[in-house]
Amino acid sequence: MSPFDIWLGILQGLGTTASVTAYGLVFAVPFALVFGVAQYLARGVARLLITGVIEFWRSSAVIILLFVFYYVLPVVGITLSALTVSAMVLGLNAGGYASQAVRAGLQALPSGQKEAGAALGLSRPAILLLIELPQALVAMSPTFVNTLIQLVKATALVSLVTLTDMTFRAKEIAQVEYNPVAIYTSLLLAFFVVCYPIALAGRWLEARIASPGSRAGGI
Amino acid sequence: MGFDLAFAASSLPTILGAIGTTLTVALVSCIGAAAIGFLFEMVRRAGGIAGLTVGFVIDFIRSTPVLAWLYFLYFVLPFYGVRLGSMTVGVMGLSLYYSGYLAEVFKAGIDAIPKGQPEAARALSLRRRDAVIYVIVPQMLRNIAAPLGNYFVSILKATPYLAVLAVPEMLGRAFDIASETYRYAEPLSVAAFIFLALALVISQGVKQLERWLLARG
Amino acid sequence: MLAQPETMVGIEGLNKWFGALHVLNGIDLDVASGARVVVCGPSGSGKSTLIRCINGLESYQEGTLRLAGTTLGLNARETAAARRQTGMVFQSFNLFPHLTVLSNCTLALRRVAGRSRSEAEDIAMAHLERVRIPEKARSYPGQLSGGQQQRVAIARALCLNPRIMLFDEPTSALDPEMIKEVLDVMVALARDGMTMVCVTHEMGFAREVADQVVFMDGGRILDRAPACDFFGASGHPRSRLFLETILKH
Repeated sequence: MSPFDIWLGILQGLGTTASVTAYGLVFAVPFALVFGVAQYLARGVARLLITGVIEFWRSSAVIILLFVFYYVLPVVGITLSALTVSAMVLGLNAGGYASQAVRAGLQALPSGQKEAGAALGLSRPAILLLIELPQALVAMSPTFVNTLIQLVKATALVSLVTLTDMTFRAKEIAQVEYNPVAIYTSLLLAFFVVCYPIALAGRWLEARIASPGSRAGGI
Repeated sequence: MGFDLAFAASSLPTILGAIGTTLTVALVSCIGAAAIGFLFEMVRRAGGIAGLTVGFVIDFIRSTPVLAWLYFLYFVLPFYGVRLGSMTVGVMGLSLYYSGYLAEVFKAGIDAIPKGQPEAARALSLRRRDAVIYVIVPQMLRNIAAPLGNYFVSILKATPYLAVLAVPEMLGRAFDIASETYRYAEPLSVAAFIFLALALVISQGVKQLERWLLARG
Repeated sequence: MLAQPETMVGIEGLNKWFGALHVLNGIDLDVASGARVVVCGPSGSGKSTLIRCINGLESYQEGTLRLAGTTLGLNARETAAARRQTGMVFQSFNLFPHLTVLSNCTLALRRVAGRSRSEAEDIAMAHLERVRIPEKARSYPGQLSGGQQQRVAIARALCLNPRIMLFDEPTSALDPEMIKEVLDVMVALARDGMTMVCVTHEMGFAREVADQVVFMDGGRILDRAPACDFFGASGHPRSRLFLETILKH
């Protein structure tokens, strides 16, 4: 196999990498929004419980969490596909990180925003939805982009639970072809061409948000 | 079959026995990552072709998964005749991977020092070296203490990746038990629990440190 | 150098550009030893840039700047030696936040002047007493008010025993009630015969201690006069307008 064939062989796993990422986002985005907002609004015991759930997903070692759910769920009678388990674990882990950005973004807004909304006679949900969340999400969008990159990179883990992503393909090729330099350089490059454009987009967003003129125009 | 709590409890001592390996690997990797990251940031700051190159290397590292780096080092180094223990390769991989992130931490820590500080040092005729040692570095260390602590937690949580290279850290021990007994759920849950507890405790410590630094003004 | 009053700062035909912006445009200015010069003008007039050129914090493209007998920028070692004759006080104090007040003052004494720790502390305490804040020697800058911080900054600058003190809007960042304590220290310094160049809008201070007031706008010196004339009826129309706006509040 030429290095180019190796590269093409690894890219055969791109579909799986992409589906785990997309499927992971299905878990990550709602979790981040719901738990981020809930942690911002809740008080007392409710807040403690919400924080507990977030911390479980965010502070656990994601590689172990993946194995735990992969092996524990069948034991307690829940059978999910490897893809679903992977998407759930990686997605909720990323969602845990993103929820902190949602909460921090909401907390960072000047209290005058909330007060101005109330002075206009808006209800609390309307203030949250129309005034607070849009501003917080725009302000934190570079952080969300970083979390997305972390999610894409974390999908390399699914090769350990038998999914044929790019990392798995690299290891398969390594079994028939002794050319570790080409194989693992190709693997790194494959992730780089996926993640680097996202990182550049994130930087562009950050610059746009940082320049005060653009904010008034809204994104 | 169900989840056997007694079995989980019985696997705890064996897994916990590897906590020393886990913490050592995390600490050494963190120091390595900080050293490389600081070097990277200094070269990047100096600018020129070397600075641009290092800037790209940092971006490259940050765009690639740690698992891919571990495989890369583990399989490519022997190809060139460099034979190292899997623990060494693992520490190298974590150090290299996190150096890209710590370079950013150093960058932010230095950028956060007001422009007036090096200026005041110049106005007082301090030599450049003295300005760096007595004015810049102490303020940078203060700025990076909390983010560095948080990255130590991240590195700690990444040490189970080394189980893939058969390093006998806590996840590796859990898998050893699993393969002997064909029971995966309990030892893996125990390992997950220990890592979560460690991460939460150290994160709390970092928060306290942050509060203390803020209070000192 | 013995009999006639020495020229502490001699500036001839100084020009500086930031890109296309001509920030200093043909500046000529002499400051004799013992003189007290106040530089005023609207923001963006180049007055801060000028004072920062005097101790080499900013470079310039054309002209000559002589400081304590040395032409700046010709020889790195001589430029550094000349800078050691200056003390600088910044608008934003620029105290080192991680060091105590005392350590802020002793740092240069120990690292630049090579004094021992106890010598340096004695000198520093003397200057902290001079600015009437010795009791805060062990405090950190963050624990002091703005006025206190600026007095410490003055003491820190005095520690190396400079022959000229440069003040870059030393009271602009202060709350009104703290301005007086800083100006009092500066007036006392002037009374002791210190050569001073001071960028400030405090016209009461200028009237009290300055022997020359320089008015800048658009990178040029538009008007220069002894303080008594500057505040009199004569003078450039632009500086009269400036004075009227300043003195109204």
